[in-house]
Amino acid sequence: MYRAKLEQCLKRVQKPARYIGNEFNSVHKEWTPDMVSVAFCFPDVYEVGMSHLGMKILYHMLNDREDTVCERVFAPWDDMEQELRKEGIPLLSMESYVPIRDFDLVGFTLQYEMSYSNIVNMLDLAGIPLRAKERKREDAFVHCGGPCAYHAEPLSDLVDFFILGEGEEVNGEIVEIYKAWRDSGKSREEYLLEIAKLEGVYVPSFYDVTYNEDNTIASFEPNREGIPKQVKKRIIKDMDNTYIPEKLIVPFMETVHDRIMLELFRGCIRGCRFCQAGYIYRPVRERSVEKLLKVAENSIASTGYEEMSMTSLSTSDYTKLFELTDGLLALTVDKKINLSLPSLRVDNFSMELMEKVQKVKKSGLTFAPEAGTQRLRDVINKNVLEEDLMRTAKIAFSGGYNRIKLYFMLGLPTETEADVLGIGELAQKVIDAFYEIPKEERKGRSVSVTVSTSFFVPKPFTPFQWEPQNKISEMEDKARMLKESITNKKIVYNWHNSDVSFLEEVFAKGDRRLGEVLIAAQKLGCKFDGWTDFFDYEKWMEAFRICDIDPAFYAHRRMDLDEILPWDYADIGVSKEFLKKEYEKAYRGETTPSCREQCSGCGATQFRGGVCFE
Amino acid sequence: MSKWRVVFSKMGMGKYISHLDLLRCFTRAIQRSGLPVVYSQGFNPHQKMTFSLPLPIGVTSECETVDIQFEDGLTSAEIQEKLNQNLPMDMKVLAVHEPTAKAADIVSAEYQMGAMTAGVVEKDALRKFFGSGEVLVTKKTKKKGEKQINLMDYLHAWEVEEVAEDGFKLRVVLDAGGERNLKPDILASAMGDFLENNDVSDWEIHRRKIFWKDEKGVQRIFD
Repeated sequence: MYRAKLEQCLKRVQKPARYIGNEFNSVHKEWTPDMVSVAFCFPDVYEVGMSHLGMKILYHMLNDREDTVCERVFAPWDDMEQELRKEGIPLLSMESYVPIRDFDLVGFTLQYEMSYSNIVNMLDLAGIPLRAKERKREDAFVHCGGPCAYHAEPLSDLVDFFILGEGEEVNGEIVEIYKAWRDSGKSREEYLLEIAKLEGVYVPSFYDVTYNEDNTIASFEPNREGIPKQVKKRIIKDMDNTYIPEKLIVPFMETVHDRIMLELFRGCIRGCRFCQAGYIYRPVRERSVEKLLKVAENSIASTGYEEMSMTSLSTSDYTKLFELTDGLLALTVDKKINLSLPSLRVDNFSMELMEKVQKVKKSGLTFAPEAGTQRLRDVINKNVLEEDLMRTAKIAFSGGYNRIKLYFMLGLPTETEADVLGIGELAQKVIDAFYEIPKEERKGRSVSVTVSTSFFVPKPFTPFQWEPQNKISEMEDKARMLKESITNKKIVYNWHNSDVSFLEEVFAKGDRRLGEVLIAAQKLGCKFDGWTDFFDYEKWMEAFRICDIDPAFYAHRRMDLDEILPWDYADIGVSKEFLKKEYEKAYRGETTPSCREQCSGCGATQFRGGVCFE
Repeated sequence: MSKWRVVFSKMGMGKYISHLDLLRCFTRAIQRSGLPVVYSQGFNPHQKMTFSLPLPIGVTSECETVDIQFEDGLTSAEIQEKLNQNLPMDMKVLAVHEPTAKAADIVSAEYQMGAMTAGVVEKDALRKFFGSGEVLVTKKTKKKGEKQINLMDYLHAWEVEEVAEDGFKLRVVLDAGGERNLKPDILASAMGDFLENNDVSDWEIHRRKIFWKDEKGVQRIFD
């Protein structure tokens, strides 16, 4: 019924292709009353959301069920939002133009903290009551999954339940329970009680939180019988025998990652201490080469994409990378499909591998030493040696590359002036490495190194979770110091001022009292905070003032090793004891070997799969 | 290798797909179809494919054409079938044949234009608009400039197809092609201004035919 009105809006907005759907391989089902309807919402704009592999998996998996219809929803860009509000059109699904509030289950994926305001805004646009306690029996159940669901207490008052971990199995289970509940006449709470029995489902309203006078948490306890104190994440043990969609939607407009994404494995063996993904996705579980080649072949046939990337946290750690790459090249070269290898590590980069990816197209090379000195790299357990970087750079220069990008972080724990200046010195050494190669062996005439820094955001479920974040002004001073120290014109240094990092830290480590801040911020117009054109620091500070909450409490306070953390409800399989040990080792500058070198006893063996049993 | 002209429709929500996105959409559909397309030589090989007359965003069509080079040995029926299996739902191949004219020889196009209005627009009012001889509008030129043009110089034929209580339907033939081209939405907006009392709220514009010129005179690109 809203379609005609929507069409008129489309004529007035930029990029109408964001809203039209009907892409190849999109699923259009006939709705029948017995079906369970799931709105899969990505709290960002279409071209970002459509780049996300997890959404593609769950969308096709749910639609493969005969009893379920799953439709996509993205955050409308500001121009479209204004049109929708002006015309009185609620937020609609992409496939059938059905109002989101008419769906049974409304799921959001939490990929980054700065999308939380978009969730509030989308609920508001949908006409769904913002607070979970305000929803009636006929209202949709609002739930969230994705990496931030492990520590999304700021959303707890707005969300009916969270799904922790990998969704391939549990999403089907909550649909099954919904079907039984729908016709039972039982209350909302009874549905939540049923699904709370599933491993991986966290229902925040079943927990009471009390606070100490200093604002730290005094207690965090279940308020019902049979509710676990901690909710364990779900994982897929056998990566070859799980749902892998092969008929992926092919968007009309260009998306951020506009290519086939081949997921080689989940998890990472490395254990870099700043990296949340390195802990929450443990243990490492690989797919077999045979399975991957089959998936790749089918994906090429069903999408027609001109590019394929191997996506995983640290792709070059795949145990049979050469075998896989050879197999993939056989599938792609004749079809002019470009094979790209993101996330390369410096220490196992080889000429052979580089030549393989070069066969189709040569692109720039990016490495992430993360810190400027060996001392600090040891602190963060980034096991990359300067020699490795120099060796790699030389291989790359001899192979015809002459542009290298280096990524670093500012504001890491224990950082000193020497570490900051070390970034510029390392970049200079890469330049020197180019000129150490005999002229006739290096291909390009000149060389350039681009250095980028971002501000460190200590994250839950890492050994640095107890660390305070550097003040933004301190990090800016460091960036300026680095900028001034770089005099070589062949080194380009990029950094941007980013109060966003501070907000990201507040919402990464915040508790459920921040829910009202999110609601206040949305009323003030906060949205798309990950986009510089929208992020408005002053509005956020206003929202904190309205709610009488000091954001610095969450970002700049060193947390006590024994205090109750807002995210203690989630059991990611890695023990807090292990994280504490890693924290202490960091301060001693001791490194920890990768999972393949030696088991460090993090706790992930309890899942009985993956690298722990290789 | 041989060149084929593929005539297709772009309907429904497909009207919001830009020309650049359409190109990518066809590239991928051809790749999926497995049809033996010919690639250009060079550093960044691409499929040999040429669209004739870009369709403005917001306009549907039943007469779009794209010329594609395939290896020899295909039949038109085979190309049509395989492409239709692989195109998104809003696009459909209607015919495949050997190219009969060059895109450069396109001279005009026929559009159906439906207006939604607040009240009845009398035929006389429409006649008055088309009979006025001069309707000046500002047209953007390729070189980022603007120029004043008389719409009527670009109009070959017009006809009122239908007048109803809440709108009217027209059939117009406008200049089209590389030499002289008028987008139908420029005409629509000028008419909206002219009929300001009738409050034109929305237009549905559809391209029905494309005409080209050869030694035999003006022809239709597809019947």
